Order: sequence, then structure tokens, then C-alpha cells
Amino acid sequence: MLTENLKIIGVVVGTIGLFTLVANSIPQVQSEVPQDLSFGTDVTAAELTASGGLLFGSAGGCTACHGLGTRAPNLLTSNGSEGPIGARCGDRVTGESCKEYLYRAMIEPNVFLVEGYSPIMPDMRRSLSNDQIWALVAYLEAQGGEVTVTGADINQEGEGEAQTTMAAAPVPAGPTSDATDPLEILRANACLGCHVLSGEGAPIGPGFDGIGGRVSADYIRESILKPSVAAAEGYEAFAGLMPAIYANQLTAGQLENVVMFLAELR
Amino acid sequence: MATLAAATGKRKIKLNQNCGRSLFWPALAVFGIASQFASPDLLLAQSLEGVRQYGEFPLVGSRVAIWVAAQVHLLFAAFVLGVPMFAVVAEAVGIFGGDSKYDKLAKEFTRLLLVAYSATAIWGAILSFLLVTLYPGLWLYLTEIFQVSMWIYVCLFFFESFTLYLYYYGWDLWNTGRAKWVHWTLGILLNIWGTAVMFIANSWLTYMMSPPADVTPDTAPGMVQFWSAFANATWMPINIHRIIANVVFGGAIVGAYAAYRFLVARTDEERAHYDWMGYIGNLIAMGALIILPFAGYYLGREIYEFNQQMGITMMGGFMSWLWIIQAFLIGVLFLAGNYYLWVGMGRIPGAERFMPYTKYMLVVLVLGVMVWATPNTMIADREEIAAMGGTHHPFLGVLGVMSAKNTAVNLMILTTFLSFLLYRRANSRPTVDWARTGTIVQGALFVLASLIVVFYGVYGYFVPAIVRIGFSVYQVLAVLATIIGVITIDVFMLRGAESRGDIRWGQMPPRSQYALFILAVTFTWLMGLMGFARSGIRQHWHVWEVVRDTSEYAATPALGYAAIVISCCVLIFFTLVSFIFWLGGLAEKGTKASADSVAATSSTQGVS
Ligand code: HEC
Ligand code: HEC
Repeated sequence: MLTENLKIIGVVVGTIGLFTLVANSIPQVQSEVPQDLSFGTDVTAAELTASGGLLFGSAGGCTACHGLGTRAPNLLTSNGSEGPIGARCGDRVTGESCKEYLYRAMIEPNVFLVEGYSPIMPDMRRSLSNDQIWALVAYLEAQGGEVTVTGADINQEGEGEAQTTMAAAPVPAGPTSDATDPLEILRANACLGCHVLSGEGAPIGPGFDGIGGRVSADYIRESILKPSVAAAEGYEAFAGLMPAIYANQLTAGQLENVVMFLAELR
Repeated sequence: MATLAAATGKRKIKLNQNCGRSLFWPALAVFGIASQFASPDLLLAQSLEGVRQYGEFPLVGSRVAIWVAAQVHLLFAAFVLGVPMFAVVAEAVGIFGGDSKYDKLAKEFTRLLLVAYSATAIWGAILSFLLVTLYPGLWLYLTEIFQVSMWIYVCLFFFESFTLYLYYYGWDLWNTGRAKWVHWTLGILLNIWGTAVMFIANSWLTYMMSPPADVTPDTAPGMVQFWSAFANATWMPINIHRIIANVVFGGAIVGAYAAYRFLVARTDEERAHYDWMGYIGNLIAMGALIILPFAGYYLGREIYEFNQQMGITMMGGFMSWLWIIQAFLIGVLFLAGNYYLWVGMGRIPGAERFMPYTKYMLVVLVLGVMVWATPNTMIADREEIAAMGGTHHPFLGVLGVMSAKNTAVNLMILTTFLSFLLYRRANSRPTVDWARTGTIVQGALFVLASLIVVFYGVYGYFVPAIVRIGFSVYQVLAVLATIIGVITIDVFMLRGAESRGDIRWGQMPPRSQYALFILAVTFTWLMGLMGFARSGIRQHWHVWEVVRDTSEYAATPALGYAAIVISCCVLIFFTLVSFIFWLGGLAEKGTKASADSVAATSSTQGVS
């Protein structure tokens, strides 16, 4: 009986030990806490960049998407031929400086989408403070560009509000391009990321070829503005997949252009 | 047996003492602590800042203290919730099938339940004390939102205890006719209370994971809408996942208990009984384990849907290695479970003819484990993220990402099912005249299912993600259809089958019993690991993106460290469980009842 008991204890402890060993033999990654940051108006670019770098690499959570695989554009490398983020940020949205663009990318990430990516980046205000976001902006500017963030930006009152009012203004927030050519609009808004048109695009949603023969213009308009209302036949399982952001992202003119264009594809 | 029950009213906790002194002092302590909070003013959100946010625990620190308390409490709770489910089923089998050995089995399950129940309550009390003393800020926050449900919780707990006592102590009293039905209803009631208790507790912890979107750090806890906090995004998935996991866990622990009793048994009768009980425990655990992944996918989907970042952190971020460890553990489970079945064939006349196949099955299992533990299939690529449509349809996306793993696990499930089928078939010779055809059809179903699984697994690499995503559904359906189809044929085919000899219950080499221990330990460890995953993805938040963890322990530790804490929890749990079961055994020896509880258990089929 004693030997039985000892054997049992041996098996139990041995199994537990094995698991502990295995878990200790893999890379050990700890998830850090974002450092609380608070900058005065006299903060230097170097201080900001350093804190931003720390955040970016660990606790900011950015590397969960940026840098791993291809789910988000790589910010530190060239992302194709565009150059690292500090170099490409100024060219993203006309009329927006690098700093403004990066700040906006963090707080309203889905207003402007880098072409070919899905709107999965969260609003960073939910997890980071204003100071932390600005530190990140500084760090990203430093990747191939010049740091222009200053203490004044950070301590500017109501920066967040200013952005929000802009979004709520009658002009639709951040049309992704001011194109009028329907094909251009379809490309710029990543519609072809999910719909095929004459062989271009990915077959995730229903194809656009011949769509005008299947459905009416009103239906198309409705589908774009409120994608969740009626799912296309055969795609019920994917209802909800199409982002409901286009009411804000297309100007009324662009929307009509696209609707007419699609309705005529027979 | 003592039961802790905190009563409704002015936030104090009362004690219901049944026979024990054991809980008196802790109860007094609760009362003392709880009475500090008696003033409602203190609970107002505004005063939260004035309250000490964190306490300090000697040596190991607050985090480990609360971690161990919560985990050990949860392990006992899982046992206490899982066992009644199959106790009631076993009792029903006894009633409807008229085989009294199932009734005795059910009663034995319930006895284990009774002794484990007070441990659950004690650890629950420890957990609450530690929360109140070490995390007073968070505690106040949660009570402010959930107070009413906390009162209901203790009431239900109270009902549950009494139902359990009635159920157990009334067993022999209400043993026939209509009384037996009443007794069985008590068992059902026991499950209802238990499930309700768990659902309530789950709402608290899932709220911490997935608070409703309109709750922000500035929302005063008193302003949070109760129902939206209660039925939050991950509540139902966790409920379902836990119900199934509890059954798995209960089965595994019961199996280990039986293995222990088997190994120390003195008579052949006892050995036969505990051999059979171990077999049933294992069957329950493995059967429920097969459906657990589906619940897991559902939970994963809801997490993605709730917050992409949380989902990505869970599957691909700092936690991605966790899933490799999980795969390793599940591999151990499959191997140990199959090994047990294979060794068990030795006690079945006629099983010799199947023995040569086991080595092939072993190969499939080992290969499956290896594929499953391969990390590179886990990180979603661009296609798959695009297919997930950004914030939507992560369910499909998760499945798609795990295409290769799905193939592996489906084959492992098929293999395990085949082991079980051979085991079941071993000692019978079908007498129906279509037996041969039936077997061929069964074989064909297996081959077909494997082909479908492999075909879609391989084909998946040649098609766009969006198409591939649908494939995993076909794989699962093929496996499920095969399991159902084969079992149906088997049931009809074995009607009136000749026996090649009774199963020689008890004639089981001791090494098989160690497999049952490995199963139980692995399940327990796995629960600990999943517990870490679940609370670890909150990272430095007590309540995700609402209440920050500002303590010195806010960083989420790496897996190696977590593994050590998990191992300690498992050790504590097993030490206590052995002690409790040993006590239970002593009590049993004291009564004459033991003589008939160890019934001769010769069985024809051995399938419950
Ligand atoms: C859940 C995944 C995810 C996380 C986490 C995430 N991002 Fe993003 N991010 C994306 C995706 C996808 C894009 C491209 C689409 C878009 O523009 O929103 C993007 C785009 C960007 C861009 C614009 C890139 C360009 O080339 O113009 C910046 C800047 C950026 N992210 C910064 C960050 C920072 C800083 C963090 C951490 C605080 C972060 N992101 C966290 C997914 C993520
Ligand atoms: C993330 C993938 C995705 C993106 C991006 C996307 N769609 Fe869709 N779309 C879908 C899916 C999936 C459906 C089918 C399910 C549904 O109707 O909701 C759909 C349906 C439609 C339909 C209805 C088609 C029919 O046959 O009924 C139209 C029209 C449409 N999309 C137009 C657009 C336009 C225009 C854009 C760009 C401005 C766009 N979509 C961007 C995925 C997408």
C-alpha cells in the first residue's frame, strides 16, 4: 500500500513537473504595463521619442498587429516602396501634416484606411493617455522623418474635441480620396479588397460583374450605406462582414457615382 | 459538513453551520471585514479614491495569493458542479434501466460531492477575504455594480447545500416508487441551483473581461446598467464552456479516485467495482472533451468580436505560446485516454483480435499531436484577417487560421472514437444477419470521414482563405456524422449479440490506473492554464479598458512563472482532494454500507 501511494505521488508530481518544465523551456514573454507619462511644455523630442519607443515595443500593444506577419502595415520598414512611417506619413492625406496624420491614425484609426488593410485597429484613446499617444507619434515621426511634436501639442486643451467636431462636420469625415471616377473610388475605399470586378479584387463578398442585372440601384445604395440590413443571397453567412463606414467615407457624389456605375454593370 | 452562506441584508455574511466548527472563525472574520463596509456612503463611487486600493500579502505577494485562492476554489467548484450532472444521469440510468449498480454508482459520486463541497465553500471564503483585503478598491467597484446578484448568489448557494444534503442523506430513504422520483428531482434541482450559482459568478468575471462598450473609466460604477454588465459579451460563451469543462473535469477526478481505490483494494469485488467506476469516469471525461473545442471556438469568436486587439493578443500576441503548451497537454490527454482503453482491452475476451491495430492508432495520434503543436499555423496572415472582415466574423477566421490543426485534431478525435468502438465491440459477436455489411459500412464511414478531413485539409492550401474557412466546417461535420452514424449502426447491430465472455472487471494491470492519474492531473493543469489565459488577456486592466491595475503586479507574467503558480495550485488541490477522499474512505469503512456499495459489477457491454 505504501509503495502504491508513493508511485501515485511520483506519477502526479512527475506529470506536474513535466508541464512546468515544458512551460519554462519556451520563450518567456511578459506583458508590460504602459508607463504612465506626463510631459510638461518643455519636453524634448528625445524624451518623447524614447518613451514612445518603449511603449511601441511592449505595453502599447502595437506590435500585436504591426510587425507580425501582414495583418497591419509595418511601420518601421518601408512597407513596399513608401519608406518607413516617418517618411510616408506626410503624404497620406492631403492637407494633413505628418503629426496630424499620425495622431489621427491613433484616435480615429478607421477614418483613413491604408489601402488593402481592414479596419481592425482600435481607438487608442481607450487604452492610452493623451501623453502616451503623443509620445508614440513622436517615436513614429522619428522613423525616417523629423520629430515635430512639442510640449505645446501635448498640453493643448481640447485637441480631442477638435478632432471630433471635424468628424461630425457636414463634410463627410475623411473621404479616402476626392476621386470622381467610380473605379478609382472602388479602389481607394478597398471595396475591391472584398469584391471582384473584371478579375480585379478578392472574392470575399459577391462579385460586382453583372451586379446591375441582379439588383436595383436602390438596393446597391442601401447595401453600401447599411450593409447589415439585407445580406446578399448566398452570402448570409457573411452578413456583417462589410464595414458600415462608407456613409462617412464617401461623399454623396462619390456614392451616387459608384451606385450608378454598379447598377449599369449588366 | 459546513456550508458558508452569506446572507442578504446589510452586506454581512452569515454562516450556516451544519456540523462543523471549521468555518466559525473564518465566518467571524468575514463578518468583521464586511461590517467595515456597512455604511452605504462608503460605497459611493466618489469615495473610491479615499479607499486604500491594494493590500499586501506576505512572501508571495497579493497577486499570487489571489491567483491561488481563485484557482483552487475554481477547481473544487468545477468538481462540485460537474459531478452532480452525471450523478443524476447515472441515477436515471439506474431507474430506467433497472440496473441497481448505476444507482449505487450515483450515490458514490454524490458522497464524493458531499466531502468536496465544504472545501469549495472554504476556498470561496478565502477568495472573498483575500479580495476584500488585498484588492479593496476593485472589490468596492464590483460590489457597487453587482451587489444584488451577490445576495442572490448566497441564497442560491444556501439552497444548493440543503438540496445536496437532502439528496445524499435521503438516498436510501426515498429509494422506491414515487419517492425515488422525488429523489431524482432533487438531483435535478441540485444541478439547477449549481448552474445558476455558476452563471452568476461568471457574470462578475466576464464583466472584468468584456465590460459593455458604453462603460468607460469615467463611468461611476453605480451608473453601470446591471443587466448589460451581467449579460456581457463573453458571459454566455464562458457559461457554456465551463459547463462542459466541469463535466470533463468531474469525470477525470472521479476516474482518479476510482484508480486510487482500485490500487489499494483488498478484494476482487472491490477491484471489479473500482475498475468499472474508473472506466465510466474516463468515458465521461473523454466524451465531454470531444465537444469542448466547439465551445472554445465560440468563446474565441466572442472575444474577437468584443475586441480585435484582445483576440489578437490572445492568439498571436504575447500569449501565442500558451496555445502550444495547450496543444501539448491535449496531446497528453489523447494519448493517456487511448492508452487506457487499449490496456483495458486485456480484460475483454475477444479483444485480442484488435490489439495489432493499436500501434497504427498510436502513430496517428503522435503525428496529430506534432502537427497541432506546430506554431506557424497559428499566426493569421493578411488573407485570413481580410477574410475575417476586420471586426467581424472572427469565428470563421479563427477556424481558417487553424486549418492544419483542425485536420490533426479531427483525425485524433476519429482515432479515439475508433479505440472506443473496438473496445465496445471486443467481447460481442453480432447475431444479426447483416452484421458483415454493417461492419463494412462502419469501416467505410471511417475511411470516408478521414478522406474528407484530409482532402479538405490539403486542398485548403490551394484555395483563397475565404473558401478554406468553410472547409473546417465540412471536416467537423464529417467527423460528427461518422460518430453518430457508426454508433447508430452499432447499437442496432449489437442487439441480442452473443457474448464472447464477460468483461473481467478488475483484471486490469495497475499501469492502466496510472494513466487515469495522468489524465486527472493533466485536466487540472489545463484548467489552470486556461484560467491564466482568461485572466491574462486583460493584461494590466482589472476591468478591461475601464479599471486600471495600478498595483505593483500589474504586468502579466510570462508562461514559465505562470506554470509554477499553476503547478502549486494543482498540488494544493490534489493534496486536499486525497485527504478528503481518504477521509471519505474512512467513513465508509465505518459503516456496513460499504459491503453492498462494492457490488459485483459484471457487465455485459460495459457501456453506460
Ligand atoms: C488590432 C491590430 C492593430 C493594433 C493593436 C494597432 N494597429 Fe495600427 N494599424 C492597424 C491596421 C490594420 C492598419 C492599417 C489600416 C488603417 O490605416 O487603419 C494600421 C495603421 C496604422 C498607422 C498608419 C500606417 C500608415 O502606413 O499610414 C499607424 C501610424 C498606426 N497604425 C500606429 C499604431 C500604433 C502606434 C499602435 C499601438 C499604440 C497601433 N497602431 C496598434 C492595426 C493595428
Ligand atoms: C470587408 C469586406 C468588404 C468590403 C471592404 C466591402 N464589401 Fe461590399 N460586401 C461584402 C460582403 C461579405 C457582402 C455580402 C453580405 C452582405 O450583403 O452584407 C457585401 C455586399 C455588397 C453589396 C450587395 C451585393 C449584392 O449582390 O447583393 C454591394 C453593392 C457592396 N457590397 C458594395 C460595396 C462597396 C461599394 C464597397 C466599397 C465602398 C464595399 N462593398 C466594400 C464585403 C465587403
